[in-house]
Amino acid sequence: MTAVDTPVVPWTGVVGRPLPRVEAAAKVTGAIAYADDLQLPGMLFCKLLRSPHPHARVVSVDTTAARAMRGVVAVLTGHDLPTKYGIMPTCEDEQALEHEKVRFVGDPVAAVAAVDEETALAACRAIQVEYQPLAAVESIEDALAPPDGEPLHDYAGPGNVHRLAALEFGDVEAGFARADHVREDVFFFEGNTHLPMEQHSATAQASDGQVTLWSSTQNPHYVHRALAKVLGLPMGSVRVVAAPLGGGFGGKCDPFSHEIAVCKLALVTGRPVKCTLTREEVFYTHRGRHPTLMWVRTGVDREGHILAMHFRSVLDGGAYGSYGPASMLYTGALQPTTYRIPAYRFEGARVFTSKAPCGPKRGHGTPQPRFALEVHLDKIAEELGIDPVTLRRRNYVEPFTRTVNWLRVTSCGLQQITDRVLDASGYARRRRRLGHGMGFAVSSYMCGAGLSIYWNTLPHSQCVVTAGRGGVTVFCGATDIGQGSDSMLATVAAEELGLQPGAIRLVTGDTGLTPVDLGSYSSRVTFMAGNAAREAAAKLRQLLVEAVAEAEGRSPEQVQVRDARIGSLGFEEAVALAEERFGTLATHGSYTPPAGIGGRYKGAGVGPSPAYSYSAAVVELDADPVTGEIDVHKVWLAHDIGRAINELAVRGQVEGGVCMGLGEALMEAQAYRHGLVKQPSMLDYKSLTFLEMPDVETILVETVDPEGPYGAKEVGQGPLLPVIPAVVSAVHDALGVWVDEVPVTPDKVLRALEARARGRDARYGPKSFPVVPYPPLVKVAPPDAAAPTL
Amino acid sequence: MEFLAPTSWDEALAVKAEHPEAEVIAGGTDVMVDLNFDRRRPAMLVDLTRIADLATWQIDGSVLTIGAGVTYARIIDELSTLAPGLAIASRTVGSPQIRNRGTIGGNLGSASPAGDAHPPLLATKATVEVASARGSRSVPVEKFFTGAKRHVLAPDELIAAVTVPVAAGPQQFAKVGTRNAMVIAVTSFALALDPHAHAVGTGIGSAAPTPIRAEEAERVLAGELAAADQWEHRRPLDDHLVDHFARLSAEAAAPIDDVRGTAAYRRHALAVLARRTLSWAWSEYQRN
Ligand SMILES: Cc1cc2nc3c(=O)[nH]c(=O)nc-3n(C[C@H](O)[C@H](O)[C@H](O)COP(=O)(O)OP(=O)(O)OC[C@H]3O[C@@H](n4cnc5c(N)ncnc54)[C@H](O)[C@@H]3O)c2cc1C
Repeated sequence: MTAVDTPVVPWTGVVGRPLPRVEAAAKVTGAIAYADDLQLPGMLFCKLLRSPHPHARVVSVDTTAARAMRGVVAVLTGHDLPTKYGIMPTCEDEQALEHEKVRFVGDPVAAVAAVDEETALAACRAIQVEYQPLAAVESIEDALAPPDGEPLHDYAGPGNVHRLAALEFGDVEAGFARADHVREDVFFFEGNTHLPMEQHSATAQASDGQVTLWSSTQNPHYVHRALAKVLGLPMGSVRVVAAPLGGGFGGKCDPFSHEIAVCKLALVTGRPVKCTLTREEVFYTHRGRHPTLMWVRTGVDREGHILAMHFRSVLDGGAYGSYGPASMLYTGALQPTTYRIPAYRFEGARVFTSKAPCGPKRGHGTPQPRFALEVHLDKIAEELGIDPVTLRRRNYVEPFTRTVNWLRVTSCGLQQITDRVLDASGYARRRRRLGHGMGFAVSSYMCGAGLSIYWNTLPHSQCVVTAGRGGVTVFCGATDIGQGSDSMLATVAAEELGLQPGAIRLVTGDTGLTPVDLGSYSSRVTFMAGNAAREAAAKLRQLLVEAVAEAEGRSPEQVQVRDARIGSLGFEEAVALAEERFGTLATHGSYTPPAGIGGRYKGAGVGPSPAYSYSAAVVELDADPVTGEIDVHKVWLAHDIGRAINELAVRGQVEGGVCMGLGEALMEAQAYRHGLVKQPSMLDYKSLTFLEMPDVETILVETVDPEGPYGAKEVGQGPLLPVIPAVVSAVHDALGVWVDEVPVTPDKVLRALEARARGRDARYGPKSFPVVPYPPLVKVAPPDAAAPTL
Repeated sequence: MEFLAPTSWDEALAVKAEHPEAEVIAGGTDVMVDLNFDRRRPAMLVDLTRIADLATWQIDGSVLTIGAGVTYARIIDELSTLAPGLAIASRTVGSPQIRNRGTIGGNLGSASPAGDAHPPLLATKATVEVASARGSRSVPVEKFFTGAKRHVLAPDELIAAVTVPVAAGPQQFAKVGTRNAMVIAVTSFALALDPHAHAVGTGIGSAAPTPIRAEEAERVLAGELAAADQWEHRRPLDDHLVDHFARLSAEAAAPIDDVRGTAAYRRHALAVLARRTLSWAWSEYQRN
């Protein structure tokens, strides 16, 4: 073999190119099999009987008539699944089927497996449940009042309070004392839900005491743990496969009753069992955005430099714990990642109410405080007569610094995204006229939570790459929920191996076949699974290069990997050669966030991330001064992506985030009346349609993060965040009134205009913040500003 | 569930006479939603879409007869000059899919206070042509609605058509909702001006248990226009008159608070819609 010396240039074959997603054709042609498409021989269908009461003791459940029905194969009640579980180890307060008490309309009490859905439904109706209604807890105010009768849960407290936190970093009172100007505001963010196109669906099959669950879940690993616990099986006897998801947005992050019920029913009947939720059940399953009441007080100097900030929140958690303690802490964690806040106090609370449980939704716990913070800063700027952009720029955090609450910030493109979004939108040159406005806001988001949800020593993501006669396969627990995780894995492996993404076979989200990845939440997949896949694929590449170098008689550095060739060999020949040389080709990689990216105080687990993405939005709209109707014309969104591994996928996420943000800003509300969801259908729950979706101009800024794979950061959640306050700001620009409550509906706009016409405060929003039994402050010394940060 | 698909009107009437409890289905855009939510479980469905005659319209002199099976899409395409108010309202219904399926007869059959065809039908004093195996009758649209989602049809009766006068002047319709597409009106308002008859017609949706007219507003506006000889002169309308008309229109309503909006917002919006539709219609009249 003659060695031809060609200069080795870095291959940038696929990273950074706007390639279609690997599963695009299957999705567009309908070939992809979602969870509900799964059909197994002899399959039974499950329906859950749900509580019609918001809060009631379950006196008795009589299933005799249901069991006697033709076509009914098995009926379960809470007695069959008594083990409590919950996503967070500190609040395992759920039961798959409740047999003692129900805490919201929709809380499951029994499960039926029958030959078809109609029979299962009829059997549910034949189950006699005797309830003893208890006082409902309908709002934050109700939950903070002394309970009328028994509280929803017998843990936590006082009363219906679930969790409390009080943290202080630096000397806040001294900061306020030095301030030239101090301002206080109160805000409310109504709850809303994820609205994925796909309803949840799960199918289980059992044999020999082993059970497999196919489910539309974002987190197969956490479901795996919960199933083993509730079913009383060793983890090795349970396998969870995440089916391709028709959207998740956080709504498929918890282990759910229907997933547990079908497994138990499959074990009991020996037949496969499927449960697909109806759209109405999805609204009751919820785990969506927490309704959140917020109060913020900020002290600034004359130039608008922030000297101290005090932020309070109360979250309406609904009936169960879910991710609640984290959701609550997130309402206080990320304010300092965009603005330098030298002294910061956060007091947070989450309460239980007898409504569908809230949980994580895109942006988890941060859209609410981001809306409050940005609008609050606009108001401060207005009072000081400083341009709101200038005021923000004066406070932007610098790259490679540490925040007052100990979060390590690395790459940070705040100034660049601000420049770019202002340039593109012409914000500074806008012409002021009644009824037309533009608004600006910024935000940041995590690239994966720094800590796992439960304490463990696992790497956060693990990947195995194999190569052989069957081609290249990547095995990874990461789950594609529509965000493009599969394409990302294929692109990373292809990049390292000199292939195209389509040449990579993927086995993902399968707890029986893939090493653990913690799941698709907290925007962690590209950063963490991407790094794990990169490490694994780079190791494989090394083996191929070594084998070829040896055969060609030159050094590995001289072997070029690109265009499906390794040196002078075709990829398949190189694989055969390396297999001969090293045996089975299987390499692995893993990722664990570095130590020391957060603090050491109680509550410090929420907020740290190996990197933060940054987004800036300008929204342009018309707001009708007579009807209060809002028509958004255009949104400019500049996003610090670190590096776009796939520009097309990144733009898709930005546009999706903008769409969801506008829906939350303008119309979406999961509201209740006497415990019933008011709008439990896609016709009545208003979100944006094509007609309302404005033009979006996406601007990507690449700051190349030192630790992200190829410099990449997240995009799945961040771009939603600034859209909401930018809408509120634009409405103010158009009409001169503040709507301090999301969603900004026409009647709220009119009420703000009326308030102004009557000479009152030109705003609509909550008037006061309730008395919350926050605990004594935990004082945390801020990091030493002088010390090196990395 | 039994599914019957008569191919002629007489057959349909005979089926309905024999099975008055049978549920009629046209476009199905209301019926299928109800079945899906299990709000009703009829033992028998009678499909009207195979009756070709039901989906036609004719003109007889100055009277336009629109078959109950005519869809919104066809009203928009074919009747925008003959029945402009109805065509404008049809454009605001649902989405393209709903406009392709949904029919004017189905809208009347559902008799929702928010039905978008109803205000323009009220404003043009339409007549609902009703038939059964026993015979036919004509019901003025105003008398057609008897309560929220209730109408005058006897169990064996079907809607054959609606008749409206061919438009003699400008007609307008406007609605407000939480978004632009796929939305049930928070409130809506229709206006029809008839320069030949010197008449003003109005229709209000979603602001009372049934769609209603703002009779006092009609009377006052028609009176003022006649008194000032405005049908002849087409001068700009006096602001006070427009405001007065808007106020009377809002006062005609009896709105409630519900998931889509508050009563106060509805009343406010109604005045705005009345004012806007009148200005649009009057400018059109001045131009022509
Ligand atoms: C997504 C969506 C959006 C919608 N948006 C709007 C909207 O913006 N505005 C609006 O007004 N409506 C809207 N609707 C409601 C619906 O589309 C309309 O009411 C439509 O006119 C119903 O017509 P149809 O032919 O589909 O009626 P069907 O559903 O077939 O029937 C409706 C009712 O009328 C009865 N019926 C039908 N034909 C006759 C007949 N010839 N004689 C007697 N009874 C009859 C039926 O028995 C039934 O009770 C929407 C519906 C959906 C699903």
